[in-house]
Amino acid sequence: MTVSRECKVGLFIVSTAVLLAAALLYLAVGKGVFEKMHTFTLSSRSGDGFTEGMPVDFSGFNIGKVQAMELSDKGIVLIKIKIPDRHVKWIRSDSTFVLYRPLIGAARIIVTTSDLNSPPMNPEQVPEVAIVNDINDAIARIEPVLDQVTQIADHVESLTRALSDPQGNLNQTLGNAEKITANLASKKSLVEMAISDEESVKALNESLKQLKEITTNVNRILSKVDKMADKTDREIYGTEGTLPQVNVILKDVIGKLQKLEKTIDNINKISTDASEGMKDFHLLRSDIDDVVVSLDNVVKKLDAIVGSKKDPEFKVP
Amino acid sequence: MSLFEKLGNQVIRMISGFAGTIAFSGKVFLRIFQRKTYSSAMREVLVNQIYFTAVQILPLFLLVSILFGSLFIGIVFSLLKELGLTQFIGHILMGLIVTELSPFLTVLLITLRSSAAINTEMAVMKVNREIRTLEIFRIDIIDYLVMPRIINGIISIVLLSSLFSIVLLASGNLFSRVMFGMSTDVYSNLLLNSTDFSDIVIALLKCAVYGFFITLIPIRFGLRASRELTSIPVVVSQGMVNVFAAILMIEVLSLLTKLL
Repeated sequence: MTVSRECKVGLFIVSTAVLLAAALLYLAVGKGVFEKMHTFTLSSRSGDGFTEGMPVDFSGFNIGKVQAMELSDKGIVLIKIKIPDRHVKWIRSDSTFVLYRPLIGAARIIVTTSDLNSPPMNPEQVPEVAIVNDINDAIARIEPVLDQVTQIADHVESLTRALSDPQGNLNQTLGNAEKITANLASKKSLVEMAISDEESVKALNESLKQLKEITTNVNRILSKVDKMADKTDREIYGTEGTLPQVNVILKDVIGKLQKLEKTIDNINKISTDASEGMKDFHLLRSDIDDVVVSLDNVVKKLDAIVGSKKDPEFKVP
Repeated sequence: MSLFEKLGNQVIRMISGFAGTIAFSGKVFLRIFQRKTYSSAMREVLVNQIYFTAVQILPLFLLVSILFGSLFIGIVFSLLKELGLTQFIGHILMGLIVTELSPFLTVLLITLRSSAAINTEMAVMKVNREIRTLEIFRIDIIDYLVMPRIINGIISIVLLSSLFSIVLLASGNLFSRVMFGMSTDVYSNLLLNSTDFSDIVIALLKCAVYGFFITLIPIRFGLRASRELTSIPVVVSQGMVNVFAAILMIEVLSLLTKLL
């Protein structure tokens, strides 16, 4: 279906006009054009900083604007603010109004209400607007800083004056430094400048040379000692060294001692057995003694018998 | 002719040309409010003119407004973010983009496309003696040729500029959400707080004035063509230069109106 040219044009005009009208209507509703407005009057000793259309803010939100300004018979500036019905609840009898003039951005009236339960503000009430001026505050804050800066500038000036003075400390220091550098330039070395005696410098140089030779000799000796220590180390701790051999011998001795311990145990046992045998010898000896005594007695008896008889012969059984 | 005579002659011609344009503007302006202007023939021409000026260009116009508008708003927003002036987004959007940039870009686009066409069309009609023929048939040139084009200019510029603004504000909403994490409520609240009805009215009036002059000047210069074909490029270039001068003058006047 082809749409006619008239239809396209009509559609374009109607749709765009509707969009435009809707945007304007939204703007009108948002700006409170169809809303009931409440007017309050504020006062100020000066109209400086106030402008018609200036926003009125509560807690950072815009709730109205300055509608008009006029000068009263008493020379006080009366500022009429217009607040839409939906925002009038923020304006209370104890509300305070402050004209805030920031360094950057537009000035505005800030409403602060400490007690939202306090009665609504009477339209006849004319509260005074306090003025907070960021620019003046900034100037007041900057003044001490500026004083300090001035002092610093004075100090800098006195410093530069002292620097430019030919008899000043810095110039004297620089003169001394110049002398030192000139002196240094005329000497062959720093040592010469410090000692101020060429012979002493030569002696010092000789000593230094000798010290060098001594150091070389010491280094040589140390290298020999190092080699010897290395050799000794090899002989003591090497695989064929003394210490491993001693270890082997000790192990062998320990083994032999263990064997000897068994032999000693056997000897002890034999000794004990011998001791036991000696006891038997004692018994045997006592038996022999008893036999000897008996024989002696027999002999004595025989002797007695023999001695008493005429015929000393007798017949043995 | 001495140098001073030449200079004086040029100034006199310029002033008389300007006065002639103003007189012609007044005559046409009065016709807008006369009922008899809107005959059926005129309405038919008007529909065609709106179709060629606004409806035919609409896809391209929307594309340009989305691309250019989004880029422009992205740059402006990132600049505001860098400078720490995010609280002025609303003022920048309404005061600069909606009331200044949208009408200006719209009028530039329409001038480049339609004013040049109108200027050439009028010059060709004059060279071909179509204008003379219409006059012979007692057809009112102003009613039949001039008024539809001028009313078309007014309607097209006002509507297209509004459309451009709406597209820019929508992309502004998108960018403020992406760049500042701003919700639609906060965004619309910012816009409402920084919008003045007077600014909107001035912007719409400016669009109407733009539309009036970017069609009237080409028509007037087109009708100045002689019977020779070579006069066509001359009157077209003269007409376009004057249109751009008029655009700048209107812009300056609107800025002055805002300042005052």
